[in-house]
Amino acid sequence: MMKSLIINFAYYLDTSKSYQKTKIFFYNLLENSDYKYKKYFDIFMIILILSSVVILIREVKSHVNDSLFFFNNYVISFIFLIEYILRLWISSSVTKVIIEQNEHDVMLGNKFRLLKALKEVSLHKLKYIFSIKAIIDLLAILPFFHQLRLLRIFILFRLFKLFRYAKSIQTFTSIITAKKFEFLTLLIFTSIIIFMSSVIIYIMEANNPNASIKTLFEAVYWSVVTMSTVGYGDIAPVTPEGRVVAMFVIVSGIGVFSFTTSLVVTSFAEKLDEIKNLKVIDDIAKIKNFYLVCGYEKVAKEVVHKLSKKHKVIILEENIQKVEAAKKEGFSVLNYDPGSIHSYKKLGIDINVQVKAILCLSHSDVENVYTALTIRSFNKDIFILSILKNKANRNKLHFAGVNEIFYEKELVGIIAKEYVGQAVAFEAIHALRLSSTHIDIEEIIVNDRILQSFSNVGSLENIKYRIVLLGVYESAKKRFLFNPIDSTLLATGDYLVVMGNTKFLKEFNTHLHTKVSK
Amino acid sequence: MKKSTALIFGYNEYTFEIEKNIKSVYEHIYILKLDSDGEDSFDLSDNWDSLSQKVNIDDCVAFCILEDMAENMFLTISLRDTFKDLNIVALSEDQESADKLKLAGATRVIPSTQTTANVIVDTLEKPIATEVLHSILYEKSNLKISQITIKDHTVFDGKYPTDIEWSRDHGIIIISVFHQDGSSEFIYSSKATHHIVQSGDIFVVVGYDKDIKEFEKLIGTKCEK
Repeated sequence: MMKSLIINFAYYLDTSKSYQKTKIFFYNLLENSDYKYKKYFDIFMIILILSSVVILIREVKSHVNDSLFFFNNYVISFIFLIEYILRLWISSSVTKVIIEQNEHDVMLGNKFRLLKALKEVSLHKLKYIFSIKAIIDLLAILPFFHQLRLLRIFILFRLFKLFRYAKSIQTFTSIITAKKFEFLTLLIFTSIIIFMSSVIIYIMEANNPNASIKTLFEAVYWSVVTMSTVGYGDIAPVTPEGRVVAMFVIVSGIGVFSFTTSLVVTSFAEKLDEIKNLKVIDDIAKIKNFYLVCGYEKVAKEVVHKLSKKHKVIILEENIQKVEAAKKEGFSVLNYDPGSIHSYKKLGIDINVQVKAILCLSHSDVENVYTALTIRSFNKDIFILSILKNKANRNKLHFAGVNEIFYEKELVGIIAKEYVGQAVAFEAIHALRLSSTHIDIEEIIVNDRILQSFSNVGSLENIKYRIVLLGVYESAKKRFLFNPIDSTLLATGDYLVVMGNTKFLKEFNTHLHTKVSK
Repeated sequence: MKKSTALIFGYNEYTFEIEKNIKSVYEHIYILKLDSDGEDSFDLSDNWDSLSQKVNIDDCVAFCILEDMAENMFLTISLRDTFKDLNIVALSEDQESADKLKLAGATRVIPSTQTTANVIVDTLEKPIATEVLHSILYEKSNLKISQITIKDHTVFDGKYPTDIEWSRDHGIIIISVFHQDGSSEFIYSSKATHHIVQSGDIFVVVGYDKDIKEFEKLIGTKCEK
């Protein structure tokens, strides 16, 4: 009866949407660094920790207000207690263990073994309880029992909780743990030296009436101070034998000190690229509406250079030398293979939400086809653009799902025709588009706001703003109306194709959007 | 003066694309291969006698489209050295080689990488404006771009170009004004707006073929350059 009640309850929780939603919410809030509200929670906890320590410091020499005292001992501790319980809850799923055990037993034709399931659950929970992070969390709650004065010192344990919330501390810890073996060797070596020198100096100095080292503790203290190259000078050896020991300790202290420094520096140097890469991945997750350029070569360099003036651009390149070249130009580049699904998974890019378009700009048609196929295998909608190097491969790029293909030789051919055909007109229009002339061509989308004030072309007053209106693109009919007459009606979603000085264009744009408020 | 013969130096994929696009403009097109046997070949030895005998150089436009940039530059410099007035259109890989080709004497340079990059960026940033511009420039629609020299300025009665209702009265759009020194100014730039329409001015206009022809009849003739 009891067993069936537990199983039913476990199934109920496992299928309950609100229960799962709540659990996922707390998981995201406490553990998922990609969750947008986690940082606010982390900041809140950091403030609690720091205020708690500030109150402790103030309490040392002066009387602390009762309300502050209450806040520190009860409110903060209570919040930490709730956090501890929530973390314990989300650390593993009790219902899953019970359901799995039940299904396992049913399949084998056995009776449900509740005790085995409970044992499993306890193991999971105990494993969490005895983890270092959980112990620190627990110790941080202890000041709740403020009657025990010694426990007040546990407020300092709250500082260790900062490890949970500050990412840079986590990075530092990961760097140090990467050199765990070296640091352990160093620690053992240092401990042996300290132990030996302490014992020797104690033997040499303790019986001398003028000596300042009288106890073994003083000997250990002297060794540590000397070894660390701090050397306060409050305790110093007086016998010649003691001074000989001091010389050895000083020399080995310099060795230990420099070894430790070099160890930390090399660990950082080794991990620097990795840290930078992680930082870029982290930043990418926050960027929306960027262009993803696959492959970095001459065309890519030009395209990224132009695009990055107004938009965010991320480059994926497999070749490390090309990655370095892109970095030198100051572009955001990642050393990942654009033709591998694994790259996109690892980078955590949500193509539908974050990416505006994908540009396959490798100078190899094979790579561009491969990249396009890779992207199409998990995303059908994203706009893919590619360059074509060999005309014979045009169909392959189409089959791979590329939306728009640019064939360099064809473009050169078209331009050659214009050069020789209508050279003056061609050069004039191109000269106007050079950034040095400050003349630009823009397309302005007609939205509801513009439409409220400007229902037809004649009301736009483009000439007053010294703007050339080349025409209107009617989105509904998908056609371009060149030089439309004044009575032409505008509709939401239409585009005005205008040309003019960049300053005047800006003013014209503002005019279109602000007239309603006049 | 419009030329009637095109000489394409180099035999590669660019050759076919250029030939395809210019064959409607030129009466004769000669494709010359580098260091090959046969009549249609050339080398970089600086001897252009056989070419001079075959074609009237004064009536030619040369396209230097060798894929090896060093060879292309050498070819350009060699042609310029021999034929001072030849119109040379040269293909460059990037801006660096474009500058060198200009120094070597090329009349116009087509930078292939930049051209592709420009078209890609324009397509992404301003898809509609780019399509409109391309349809005008590459004559994909009835819209045309043309340069027109004003022969009879009395039609405009001492007006400034910006005061004339070009689009309402003539159905065309004036983009820029060309000055005698060859430089162009946007129609609404300060220099152009303070300039009274005079005979000899060149306007770059966009419009339908029919409207442009009617406008030409009214004020002058189409500029051939």
